[in-house]
Amino acid sequence: MPVDRLMQSCIAKEETFPDGATIIEEGSKGDWVYLILEGRAKVKKRTAKGFVTLDTMGKGDIFGEMVLLETGRGKRSATIIAADGPLHVGILDSERLLKDYDTLSPQLKGLIRSLTIRLREATEKICAILVESR
Amino acid sequence: MVNDKINNSPTIRLKYKKSDLIIKEGDYGISIYKIVEGKVLIFNESKDREIPLATLDRGEVVGEMTFLSRITERRSASVRALEDTEVEVWDPSRLSKEYEHMPPIIRYIADQALKRLIRMNKLLIKLYTKKQREEEERALGEPLESRRIYYRKEVDLHCIYRPVGSSPTAGLTGRIKDISFRGVGLEVRPKSTLKFSHEIGEEFHLKAFLPNGKEVDFRAKVLAIRKDRSPGRPFLGMSFTDTTDDAKKNLGFFLMP
Repeated sequence: MPVDRLMQSCIAKEETFPDGATIIEEGSKGDWVYLILEGRAKVKKRTAKGFVTLDTMGKGDIFGEMVLLETGRGKRSATIIAADGPLHVGILDSERLLKDYDTLSPQLKGLIRSLTIRLREATEKICAILVESR
Repeated sequence: MVNDKINNSPTIRLKYKKSDLIIKEGDYGISIYKIVEGKVLIFNESKDREIPLATLDRGEVVGEMTFLSRITERRSASVRALEDTEVEVWDPSRLSKEYEHMPPIIRYIADQALKRLIRMNKLLIKLYTKKQREEEERALGEPLESRRIYYRKEVDLHCIYRPVGSSPTAGLTGRIKDISFRGVGLEVRPKSTLKFSHEIGEEFHLKAFLPNGKEVDFRAKVLAIRKDRSPGRPFLGMSFTDTTDDAKKNLGFFLMP
């Protein structure tokens, strides 16, 4: 099955956010995972010296997945904001995602978990440098 | 490194001593290691600089990026043991099969997470390199022009100096009138002008005490000579050619705004 069709089959709901709207707020609770269908979104982190932008995502990018893959830390690690116009997203069926994730062997889970831990650590290091150099 | 391989054992364990290299950036290899004991540092090497990317503890996995990316079999970063470390080697071919059969949606998410990690690591390396370069420039005294003026301080310090290559007793004296990370402005005593002719390009050893009592020692070259500041006392614009670490540190504290 092509990726597009496969992803379509996982979307429980679609939503559109206006430019500048906050889709996910750092520190809040939530376990929805989003797929960008159209538009762009900025990944921001709160620091001692205000918000810093870490990444810009576009069509086909997934966000909110860290909560799913790194179990036991149910808080959102970054703020996601619609950028450069409206953002059209698909909200993925999280029950199905969790069920699928549970079929993985402990080794594969460990592999994916390490990926998200490293992502988190890289993000924190980037923030630290940005704060220092301001 | 002690190879702990036991014949026909399904899992291979390797032991590393603290500061041993486990994975070398650029090497070929797709094995994955699970940390059973200890702690490791993942770092990138660019132009002799070591850039720390992540620290991983017991239970975590290293080598996963090469495995997941499949584009290349070259290691994208190095891994070093921060403590005595024991790892379990996972068979990449078996894991490969499992990966192929993973639910496609999870695979898609993992691939996206990997892509983002690659982007974040690139950004981290870029920012880290920039920060280090700025710090080095600051320490070397070759920062932006505006900053240089900012850091230059007016002083009036007694200074003993001698031409490079002469005996330490050939003492000439003068007064340092301003000082920065880059160099000094030295007013030569009339007596010293009689002992030695000061020319552009001459290099001297200088020694002075900062107002905070710290001694600084350095080598500097004459870049400019002005004779109109005060009669009979040539004023030398000098640039540091060599400063000791102690002098740099003391100067750093003294010049701190």
